[in-house]
Amino acid sequence: MYRRTPRSIAAAGLLALTLAACGGNTAPVQNQGAPGQKTAGTAASVTISISSDESTLTPFTNQTGYPGDNLVNLIFDSLVTVQGDGIKPLLAKEVQTTDNKVYTLPLRSGVTWHDGKPFTAEDVLFSVDYYREHMEGDSAIDVRPIEKVSAEGDTVTMTLKAPDPEFPRRLLADMAMLPKHLWESVTKVKEAGTDKAVGTGPFKLTTYDPSRGYTLTANAAYAMGKPKVQTVKVVVIPEEATQFAALRTGEVHMSTRLVPPQQLQSFKQQPNIGIVEGTEFASTLLAFNTGRAPFDKAEVRRALAKAIDVNDLVKTVLLGQGTPGNPGFIHAKSPIKADELPPLFDPEGAKRDLDALGAAPGADGIRVLSGKPMSYELLVQSSSTDRLRAAELIRDMLKNVGVAVKITSLDSDSLDAKVWPDYDVAQGRNYDMSMWGWSAPTMLSSGMIAQLVASDHKDGPLNVVGFKNDAVDAVVKTLTSAPTMEERSEAAKQLQKLLAEQVPFLTLYYRNGTYAFRKDTYDGWAWQDGAAALNKFSLVDMAL
Amino acid sequence: MVQTETPAPTERGRRSYGRYTAGRLAQYAAVLFIALTLNFALPRALPGGPLKLFGSPEALAQLTAEERAQIANQYGFGQPLHEQFFTYLGNVFSLDLGMSLSQRRPVMEVLGEALPWTLLLVGTSIVITALLGVTLGVIGALRRRKGKGSGLLGGAIVFDSLPQFWLGMLLIVLFSVQLRMLPTFGAVGPDGVVTIGAVAQHLVLPVTTLTLTGFGYLFLYTRSSLLTVLTSEPVQHAHARGVPYRQIVRRHALRPALLPVHTIIMMEIGFLAAGSIVVETVFAYPGLGRLTFNAISARDYPLMQGAFLVLTVMVVVMNAVADATYPLLDPRARAGGAR
Repeated sequence: MYRRTPRSIAAAGLLALTLAACGGNTAPVQNQGAPGQKTAGTAASVTISISSDESTLTPFTNQTGYPGDNLVNLIFDSLVTVQGDGIKPLLAKEVQTTDNKVYTLPLRSGVTWHDGKPFTAEDVLFSVDYYREHMEGDSAIDVRPIEKVSAEGDTVTMTLKAPDPEFPRRLLADMAMLPKHLWESVTKVKEAGTDKAVGTGPFKLTTYDPSRGYTLTANAAYAMGKPKVQTVKVVVIPEEATQFAALRTGEVHMSTRLVPPQQLQSFKQQPNIGIVEGTEFASTLLAFNTGRAPFDKAEVRRALAKAIDVNDLVKTVLLGQGTPGNPGFIHAKSPIKADELPPLFDPEGAKRDLDALGAAPGADGIRVLSGKPMSYELLVQSSSTDRLRAAELIRDMLKNVGVAVKITSLDSDSLDAKVWPDYDVAQGRNYDMSMWGWSAPTMLSSGMIAQLVASDHKDGPLNVVGFKNDAVDAVVKTLTSAPTMEERSEAAKQLQKLLAEQVPFLTLYYRNGTYAFRKDTYDGWAWQDGAAALNKFSLVDMAL
Repeated sequence: MVQTETPAPTERGRRSYGRYTAGRLAQYAAVLFIALTLNFALPRALPGGPLKLFGSPEALAQLTAEERAQIANQYGFGQPLHEQFFTYLGNVFSLDLGMSLSQRRPVMEVLGEALPWTLLLVGTSIVITALLGVTLGVIGALRRRKGKGSGLLGGAIVFDSLPQFWLGMLLIVLFSVQLRMLPTFGAVGPDGVVTIGAVAQHLVLPVTTLTLTGFGYLFLYTRSSLLTVLTSEPVQHAHARGVPYRQIVRRHALRPALLPVHTIIMMEIGFLAAGSIVVETVFAYPGLGRLTFNAISARDYPLMQGAFLVLTVMVVVMNAVADATYPLLDPRARAGGAR
C-alpha cells in the first residue's frame, strides 16, 4: 500500500480534475459552427478573433489600425465609404465639387444615432472641430487641410486650404462622425468609455470586457442597409496558433490573422473552412539610411537593389502568396495608377556597378569601398517570421556580390526606436539597413506616398530613410498641389520613376490577403481593398 | 529511542528574537523600497514609450512637437522623471495606482479583475505541482537504484525541459482540435457566464501544461535533498541502532530533507502573482501574466508599475512567511534565530 499510495493520489488527482472538467461529456465544446442558425449568407451569431484588446472602440480609443479601425467602422459611419475602386456616399447623399477645393455634402435624412437621437449637420460640424482639437487616437483624423466647414439646413460645405482631388478617399472616408450630444463633454479622449461608442453604424456595442472581448448587436434602425448577422462576438486570443486551433474547432468563426502561406493549403482542404482572399496593399521594404555613408549615394543603393531578387523572396518566403515589389513602390492594383517599371534585379550589373564605384573585393571576398569593408547591419523585427526569412535571403544575395550583412533581430519597439524614434523623423535615425513596412492606407493616396520621401519634415513625416533629393522634392510639391486627379496621377508617375532611380528604399513584396473563416456558420465575407474582410460590406446588405 | 526537546526560550532569547525580527523587517522595508524604485525605472528604460498608445505611427508622425507635449502632459508621462517618481511613490502608499493608459481604467480595478484568475490557475498548478513533485521526488530517492526510480528521473528531466509554449499547443491540438474534449482558449464559456463546470473545463489544459513543465524541478530538488539526508551521519546512526527503515525515512530523513523544498515552494507562491505569461498567452487566459505582458508591449507605465508592485509585495511577503515559518519546522533555526 505504501508504495502505491503517492502515485495513486497524484494520478487520482489529475484524473479527478480532468473528469470534473470534462464532466464525462464527450460532446464537442460550445459553438461548434452553430448548426441550424445559418441561412444562406446570414447568421444569428458570428465569433471573430482578434489578437489584442482594442479598448472601448471609439474613434479615439482603439489600439490598432487593423482590426481596430475595422471594428470601429462597424459602429460608426463616415460621410462616404470606399467600395471597390470608387467612393460611395454613406451619411452624405452625394459629394459635389467643381474645383476639388469646395466640397458640398447634402446629408442623408432619417439617420439616427444608436441612442435614438437624430444625426444632423450640427454633428458634422462638431466632428470636424473636435478632430481639429484632438489629434490623438488611431482613428483620429488630421483635418488640418480643411480650412472651414459650414452648414445650411442638411447640407454641409467643406472648404479646403488647397485643392485636393483625393480628399473624399483620404479624409472623408476615414472620418467617423461623432454624436455631439455625447462627445462635447469629453475632454480626455483617450479615457472615453463604452458609453461614447455610440454611432450611426450597423452594429451597436452592447458588451465589453477587456480580457474576453466584445459583443456587437445588429442595429435594426440602420439607414444604409440591413445587417446580415444579428450578433458579432469579438474574442481576444493573442496567440496565432490558438486562434487557428479555435477556428478549426468552431469556437471562432473568423480569424483576423493573416493565414501564413505554409498553412494555406491545409486550411483549404478543411471542409468547413473557407478562405477570403484579396489584394493587401501593405508593403515590405528594405530601408536604407540615406543619411549614412555609403547609403547616401544613389549608385550604391541601386547596386545593392540590383543584387536582390524580389521574385525569389515571394517564391521562397511567401510560397508564392504575394506580389513582387514594384521599384516605384506602388502596387499594380492600387487606386493610384502604378507605372510599369522594369525589375531592378541584375546581379551581374550589381557587380559591375560596385566595381565602377571602386569597391574591389578584399582578401575575404568582401568589397572595400572608400577604405572600409562593405559590411553592414540589417535590422529585422523578431516577431515577423516572413521578414526574418527575407532578411536571411537578402544577406545571402548581397554576399553573392561581395557585400556582408549582419542581421540583428529586435522587438518592434527597439527597432522603431532606431529607425523612427518617437515616430518623429526630425529626431534622426540610427541604422544601416532595416526591414520595414507600411500599412495599406499608405498605398491608397498619392499624398501619402509623397510623405515617404519629401525631405521637409512637415511634408515628409514618414521619411524614415532620411531621403533628400531636390528633383524628388520638386515632384512632391507638384503632386501635393495638383488640383485635378489627372495632374496628380501624372506627378505620381514621375515620382515612381524617380524612386526607381534613386532607390531610397527597395520595395520587396506585398503579401496577399488571405483570411480563414467557418463557412458552415457564415460565408458572407467580402473583400474590400484597404480594409480586408472585416468590413461593413461583409456583414451588412448595404443599400447605397 | 531518545527524544530531543526544544529548550524553552529565555528572557534574553526573546529580546534577541525581537531584535532579529526588527532587523528582518528593516531589511524587507529596504528591499521593498529598492524594488519600488526599480519598478519605476525599468519601464522607462525600455525603448519606445507610451506615445504609441495614442495613435498609429502614421498618425503620430503628423503631430507637431507641441501636440506631442500636450498629450504627454495630459496623460502624466510628460513631467520630469523625479516628479513622476514622487507622484508614483505617493500613489503607491495611498494605494492609488493611477489610470491604465491602455485600458483607460484605474489600475487597481484592472489588477483586481485579473488577480483571481491567476490565483486560480497558478495556485491550482502550484498545489498539484508540489504534491506531484515532492511525492515523486521521495519515491525517486527511495527507489533510486531500481527501474522505477530511474524512469521517474528520466521522465522528470524530459518534462522539465519541455517548452511551455510547445506543450500547450500540443495539448490544444490533441484535446481540443482532435478529441474535441476541452475548449481551446479563455476562462469561461462563450457567453461569458461563469459556472464551475466552464471554469474547470477551461482550467484543465493550462494547469496541465504548468504542472507537467513545473513538477520536474521540485522532483529533482526533493530527490537530491532526500538522498543527501539519507547518507548523512544521523541517518547512518539510526541504521546502526536498528531503527526500521520506514521509521528512519519518516522521522529522521523526510523532515530535514523537505526544509529546502518548503523554501522553494514558498518562493514559487511568491511568484504566483506574476502569473504565467506563456501559458496565459497561449490559452488566452485573463490573468496577471498576460496583463503584464500586454502592459509591457503597450508601454503602459502605470499598469506595468501596478503589476510589478503586486509581484514585489507577494515575493517579499512570502519570503517573510518562509522566514517566519522556517523556525517552526526546524528547531535549529529557532536556536540560530535567537543568537
